[in-house]
Amino acid sequence: MSLLPPGFAGIEPLVADWVLPDAAARMAKRQASGIAELRRFYDAMLARGEEALAWLRGFALGDLPPEGENLLRLMLMLAEAAPAVEWYGDPRVYDGFPVERVRYLRQIPDCAAQAVAS
Amino acid sequence: MNEAAKPPVPGIGLTAKYPEIDTGPCDTAIYHEPAVYAKELEAIFRRAWYMVGRVEQIPHAGDFFTCDLPTFRLEILVCRDRDGGVNAFHNVCSHRGTMVEHRAEGHSAGLFTCRFHGWSFDLNGKCAAVRDPEGFFDLDKGTLGLKPVALGIWEGFIFVSPVDEPPVSLADYLGEQGRDVAGYPWGACTQSYQFETEIGCNWKLVVDSPAEVYHIPVLHPNSAAPTMMASGNPFGRLLDVELKGPHRTNSHYSVMAEPKPVQKLAYFHAAAAQNVAQADRGYDLPRGINPARSPWWTVDLITFFPGLEFTLSAHMYTAHQVWPLGPNRSLYRQRVFVRPARTAAERFGQENSMVEFRDVVMEDLSTLERIQRALDTGRIRQFHFHDHELALRHQHHVVTRILADWDRRQGSEGQHGDA
Repeated sequence: MSLLPPGFAGIEPLVADWVLPDAAARMAKRQASGIAELRRFYDAMLARGEEALAWLRGFALGDLPPEGENLLRLMLMLAEAAPAVEWYGDPRVYDGFPVERVRYLRQIPDCAAQAVAS
Repeated sequence: MNEAAKPPVPGIGLTAKYPEIDTGPCDTAIYHEPAVYAKELEAIFRRAWYMVGRVEQIPHAGDFFTCDLPTFRLEILVCRDRDGGVNAFHNVCSHRGTMVEHRAEGHSAGLFTCRFHGWSFDLNGKCAAVRDPEGFFDLDKGTLGLKPVALGIWEGFIFVSPVDEPPVSLADYLGEQGRDVAGYPWGACTQSYQFETEIGCNWKLVVDSPAEVYHIPVLHPNSAAPTMMASGNPFGRLLDVELKGPHRTNSHYSVMAEPKPVQKLAYFHAAAAQNVAQADRGYDLPRGINPARSPWWTVDLITFFPGLEFTLSAHMYTAHQVWPLGPNRSLYRQRVFVRPARTAAERFGQENSMVEFRDVVMEDLSTLERIQRALDTGRIRQFHFHDHELALRHQHHVVTRILADWDRRQGSEGQHGDA
């Protein structure tokens, strides 16, 4: 079975390292990565970003097949990696507060359906 | 040339609108002296109300969440009862004082059972059962309920008081500011991220951090500045500041510059949870949001003294909460509220907003412990606030005035006592 939806075979090698279960894990992954590998991941994903979002627009959260969840999680990792590449040229916030001191109390689940206001 | 490329730069003159606010240098003693902090706890913090969550977190009878008020070391249990009411209790067992409900949130079939010795309490806090009651001596179960905590609800936000008899009602505490921003679709942003971090600085520095944007072009040159402070506003001036008693609102000027590539994906291909323009809002902005009704508006910073600030745009908002832990120690909690994603693509827009906002705040927080170290040497005696740093001057004014009133009252009570 494919790890990603049809048409995304070219970025399948990214799934093993860059699909992570939640925002806290993605933040830790960015901090633990070098800027060169973040940039390689960013470049590979950015090139497929519009197509990935077009594919994901066809699904509501909660209805994604497993390979769609992988694609979404790669895109969420792209969001986490972007400031490192686009703003700082470094995994860390330039001259920033140590992000290790941040503790997530609440996260939005990656793939679960989201309640609309009643 | 497009008119939009040349918006008017906001002028100087915000402080002059409020003649009660001094324009001289501000004494920094209130930012670090332990005696001032001790007074603030009594005169300010014990008299305030604290936002702990939203009603949507507990839609059904039996739903609950737990939280704490770090400044007061109070543990709180909030639940929905069978009549639809929202109740708050000290989350402390009346038997031996351990925490009754240890989970962060969940659903109770009707009883909260202490995991220490198994005493149980119902959704109204009443002591429902004591294990092996015959071993106790004249227990009166009627007096052993969970201790109620004063609670109020404003626009779906649940507020609690740290004292048994709050000196002012929630409505009076929120005052004009609460009335002016009621009606924003607070409940539409059903999804949220929250993080906390302890910062080695006085609580007022944390409040100050987003309360001026004079720093944005300098401190955030690659992150916030390009999208928030593009053409025409090189000094990071505000659109407006409104002072309302102890509370206040800053309105931010912004012109959209060229977004970075991943921002473009988020803004143009996954728009949810974005600080996008106000067209197609689907609701009317309340009077107190973008009060100047400027077309160059993007974000308001809506402050409820002492420690609650909302960074609010047309479609999402962030609650910043500051919990003082000492004269130079604070707990900062940030909760980003976004709209539910209509498609899986919009989930990416949510994450992008959270990450951008978090990293910009990391840039801000790096300054705070440095300032505090300088203050703690006792050698930085004055701050010099710019006209567009009026919010900081206002906070200084409010705190100084409250502490002076407090001293006067203590003084007159003291004289009365001596007589």
